[in-house]
Amino acid sequence: MGFKTKKSSADAVYAKKSIKSSNPFDSATAQSAKRVNPFDVHVNKEKFKILGRICKHDRGMPGVSRAKALQKRSQTLGKQYAVKNKTNKFVDNRIGKHLSGDQLTESVMNARFLSEKLSQIRASNKTEKFNLNDDELLTHRGQTLEEIEQYRDERSDDEEMDDERLDAEYTAAAHFGGEGDKPQDRQTAIEEMISEQKRRKNEIAKDKDEVYDLTEKLDANYKQLLGLVNKATEDEQREKPPPDAYDKLLKEMIFEPRGSVTDKLIKPEELAKQEAARLEKLENERLRRMKADGEEQEANVQVTHRSADDLDDGYFMAGAEDDDDMLAYDLEGNLGTHLNHKKQAADKDDNDAADSEDDDDDDEEDEDGEEEEEESDSEVDNLSDLKESESESEAEEPATKQPAKSKGKTPKANSATPIDTSIPYTIKMPKTYDDFSELLAKYTATQQVTVVERIIKCNDPKLEGVNREHVVKLFAFLLQYIKDMFEDASEQDIQAHFQLVAQLMPLLYDLAHLNPERMSNTLLDVLKEKYGDYRKNQKAYPTLETLIYFKIVSNLYSTSDFHHPVATPSYIYMQHILSRARVRTRQDIAMGLFIVSIALEFGASSKRLLPAVFNFLQGIVHMAIPKREGDKLEIVPPFERDGPFSKLLAIAASKTSKALAAQEMQAADLVTHTITEDFKVRALDTALRLIKYCMEELLGEHVGAGCLATPFLALFERLSLEPYPEHVHQHYAEAKTALERVAAKKMKPLAPPDRKPKALRLLEPRFEVVYDDKRRPKMSKQKEERAKLLHKIKREKKGAIREIRRDTAFVQDLKLKQQLESDKERQEKVKRIYQEASMQQGELNELARAKKRKKF
Amino acid sequence: MQHLLQDDESCPQVGLMHTVEVIFKNLLKRQCVYPAAEEQSKSTKKSKAKAKAKINTKAAEAGPNDKCFELYNKTWSRLLVCLAGANKEEASVALKVCMQLILAEAKHLSHDNDGNRPRKRLRSILAALVESETAPALALPAFEKYARCLDLLQLCYELLPELMPTSFVDTPNQALNYLGIVNTLDLGKSVLAEQQYHMGVEGSFDLETTQKLLNEVWRGIIDSCSGVEEKVHRQVLVVLLERILPHLENPILLTDFLLDSLHQFDGPIALLALQGIFSLMQKQNITYPDVYKKLYNMFYPRMFYNKYKARLFYLADIFLTSTHLPENLVAAFAKRMARLALRSPTEDAIILIRFVCNLLLRHTGLKRLICASAAATVEIADPFDDTELDPVRTGAINSSLWELVVLQKHAVPEVANAARFVSKSLPVMEFDLGQLLEMKESDIFDEEVKKVSKQFMLSYERPKNLALPKHDVVTKFFDLI
Repeated sequence: MGFKTKKSSADAVYAKKSIKSSNPFDSATAQSAKRVNPFDVHVNKEKFKILGRICKHDRGMPGVSRAKALQKRSQTLGKQYAVKNKTNKFVDNRIGKHLSGDQLTESVMNARFLSEKLSQIRASNKTEKFNLNDDELLTHRGQTLEEIEQYRDERSDDEEMDDERLDAEYTAAAHFGGEGDKPQDRQTAIEEMISEQKRRKNEIAKDKDEVYDLTEKLDANYKQLLGLVNKATEDEQREKPPPDAYDKLLKEMIFEPRGSVTDKLIKPEELAKQEAARLEKLENERLRRMKADGEEQEANVQVTHRSADDLDDGYFMAGAEDDDDMLAYDLEGNLGTHLNHKKQAADKDDNDAADSEDDDDDDEEDEDGEEEEEESDSEVDNLSDLKESESESEAEEPATKQPAKSKGKTPKANSATPIDTSIPYTIKMPKTYDDFSELLAKYTATQQVTVVERIIKCNDPKLEGVNREHVVKLFAFLLQYIKDMFEDASEQDIQAHFQLVAQLMPLLYDLAHLNPERMSNTLLDVLKEKYGDYRKNQKAYPTLETLIYFKIVSNLYSTSDFHHPVATPSYIYMQHILSRARVRTRQDIAMGLFIVSIALEFGASSKRLLPAVFNFLQGIVHMAIPKREGDKLEIVPPFERDGPFSKLLAIAASKTSKALAAQEMQAADLVTHTITEDFKVRALDTALRLIKYCMEELLGEHVGAGCLATPFLALFERLSLEPYPEHVHQHYAEAKTALERVAAKKMKPLAPPDRKPKALRLLEPRFEVVYDDKRRPKMSKQKEERAKLLHKIKREKKGAIREIRRDTAFVQDLKLKQQLESDKERQEKVKRIYQEASMQQGELNELARAKKRKKF
Repeated sequence: MQHLLQDDESCPQVGLMHTVEVIFKNLLKRQCVYPAAEEQSKSTKKSKAKAKAKINTKAAEAGPNDKCFELYNKTWSRLLVCLAGANKEEASVALKVCMQLILAEAKHLSHDNDGNRPRKRLRSILAALVESETAPALALPAFEKYARCLDLLQLCYELLPELMPTSFVDTPNQALNYLGIVNTLDLGKSVLAEQQYHMGVEGSFDLETTQKLLNEVWRGIIDSCSGVEEKVHRQVLVVLLERILPHLENPILLTDFLLDSLHQFDGPIALLALQGIFSLMQKQNITYPDVYKKLYNMFYPRMFYNKYKARLFYLADIFLTSTHLPENLVAAFAKRMARLALRSPTEDAIILIRFVCNLLLRHTGLKRLICASAAATVEIADPFDDTELDPVRTGAINSSLWELVVLQKHAVPEVANAARFVSKSLPVMEFDLGQLLEMKESDIFDEEVKKVSKQFMLSYERPKNLALPKHDVVTKFFDLI
């Protein structure tokens, strides 16, 4: 209340301040607004304010509430009292007597009215015959007045207006009840009304018919005319005057839809942007999968300093994110990963350039496609030549090497090659593997790729549901075909096989994307089978196709995942091979190095490591150290500490070995058994380069990688480089510096990540039963309930008694009022009687006096 | 019958042996292979044999009995040849047939003889086993089943001292076979509780006498085992630990032998010797101060490739159980194991990581290896010296377990997860290494494959050839196409 008044006064002040002129009644409250009379309000004074207690009776309006109670009583109790001791009763027999308010619709009211009227008529049929006040239907010549009004003849009015006086005829007819036309009774009136209605209906129908006939007629005429009209319009068009400027403008301004709406063409930049966004999304997903569960959080909580006020609400401190591999914005506001993509794009361009060069080469080489094998032979020959040519200067060597290399880069299957017409365009999916291999056997290597490509195209699962099975089968066939190729590969054809696999790789990729689950299960089954074979003889390297399967896994799957259903088993398999299989031949060494490089490829982006890789590389270096009798260097199995197999790769100093050119591992190494000198150099060189790669790429970031590098350093000390050519020296130096850098890396002692500051314990208020100093005996629940109820009854009873008392007071009051009223009435009557009697007496007295006077 | 034995070259040996078994069992049942025949053959007096045959009212069969007996002996000799042969199936079947025949003989031949016949037969079997062609005799696994029968067990121990090879040094194969036989003769509780008897004579077994015999056998072995081959030495130690040590009368005498083995050799022999010493420490209260140093030096990378790896883990677990060990010692062990985990096969890496975790749980002072005090945030080189032989002087206590951080980057998820405790929190309970010790690399593969996962995430960059679009390694080092 106080608040309200304060506000209103404030408003008033404000109003005064602002505008005086506008409207003097603005601030005035409406007369109808309900306002409480301050004198009505009674305030119950409170002695103590108690927090949290809701007081319902701090203020009340006794007058109002008393009036309400009184009204209620008078409506209920008063009514009852009024009919007390009375035999008569009001019975509400109206239609819809239970309805009230909105429920009383128009129809109900009409029905009530009608029934009321009927009852009146029934009651007053005889008595009220001559009641003029009755608003019955008044008729005139059997027609109601309303009807007469409707069909009033206007013209007659006009005539009447002409001669203002009523003519005799009219007066004779209308005045005083007409020519003896008696007012008809109701029955006849209604009958007449009905007949009139019928007549009108007939008239309307007749009119309608006429109208219809007329329109029909018109239509027929119009049709006859139509030919003429058309001609006329054509003529008109011909005769149309040349459009003027306005017409032209108008026509131009009329908007005409010129074609259906389509998606707007995507510009190449936008396409590239979309592609980049897609790649970015995939990359982010991959990064997420790469992390073990909870690893990310660990990375995040490695914050150097944490404020005491840190709410740990997920806001990073400035500079907390310095990982440039993560998704982050750089200074220009670009995403960090964009930079990578740019790099990739550049790389891709390079690749493309290289490809186009290759294509050029292809054109030359395609002509002698069948001579490839011979070339690979000649390459081997070249090497032997190199060995013999001791006197050749080093400057010449790269020159001789390069053509060999370019030959090594053999034609790739791409669209640029002229389309072979000897291959049918639609190839049916072979039913069995034998059919498949027969089919492929018909073609050359490059054609085989086209064949497979066409099979895939013809059997795309989008074309037909059955193809889903076909595609899976094709994948299995291809894997089987690869197996057959590599199982008994010889030195001559191994390179061709690798080429074919290289060309099949994109196709395998496409196939795998068609149905990842089925294809992966196929590949996984193959791996399982291979592992089962390997398990029988753990000491021997598996056959070459297993390694090819690893490579396929590496190419097709996202191997950087923390846990991957195909990559992880492959990892375990590789680790098993590297740690158990004996290394005894050239093939073993080459395969081992191949597996090592695949394992590194698997973990290239996730930076995950396989310990066996390091052991294997140590073993290779170890084997290259010439050892004397009884000279034992510590080395982990499967490599042997002593014996002939411990120095497989050791070479004696000779000029031939010194003159060898730098060379990568050859495909032929994977199938040959005899160890040649150039292989020894090559293997060691590759191992050194791999070590460098591991140390730089893989271990560079890891804390504590030093203990992986130190064993290498011990071996490096012992490795004498004398008999090796220059490039080995160089790679040795590079690997050594990388190793030393990793080994010398200093580390912070481990400390657990800072724990999240524990939130203060929020204390829940503990509610206790209030002790109210009333000693009640402890009761069972039932009894307590009963006691409560009794208490309630008592209170209710009290309330009821009070109500009854007030009722009686009310009734007494009513009685008293009645009594007083009747007393008053009686007094009035008595008075009047006295008055009349005194008047009578007076008159009598007057008369008596007059008689006396007359007497006198 | 003769026919059978003669043209055996043509028909399969196994089937033949089974037939022979059935025939002779029946003959023995019918008492056709006459015990007197033996005497007869010994005495070579036909008349006496005939007289005896008459007495036994089987005169008519005396002649065939002779023949039978002759054939029977022939069969035995053939069976023994098979037993010592190089074919595993044949050898085991031969052993089974021999044992069945011994059983039949024992059952059906009259006991009026000295009862020596099973003994003689068994002796011939054991001799054949000892002189078998292959180093662990191929029939040994089959023999193991029979060695659980108490009567045979006792009999074997009676016979073994006689059969001992003259020199362990000259004939290592025989020595190995001999030790192999001893290894099958288990006097353990489970065998004793089973109460199996081969020849059905219960109560013929006496534990004490058998133990005495065992002591005698051991004395024979220990006498002849100086300067033997490594392999034999190892087998001696295995036999000693598994079978003999619990039953020796005076095990303290072994101390010299074990200590010599411990100091002269390394690898498995030292490990076995250490186990022997451990049991002596337990039961005989000997003290050996250098035991932790020895144990420490047994952890080296090659260790994962020998057979007794599980034993080593078991021993180390027991030795390092005590919470009263000096912290720097245990720290050295933890550090060494972490190093080894970086170079070991997958399954061992898991065991080692769990082991380290257990050590950290047991020795609360070692927490500093994974949570350095706040002051020590300076970057340091690892103070741990892994070439130091004495675990106390390695300085491991000042180091940190960075190896485990690297192991979190292990490619196999199990290992990476096992190493996670470093950056998260130590588990509450120690790990049970028992199950892990059984695990093989192939089991990890199988488990991995079993995990049914529908998420075959593919790479999103289409390879144009062998090389990957990004992060390519293989083609960098291999010139394949």
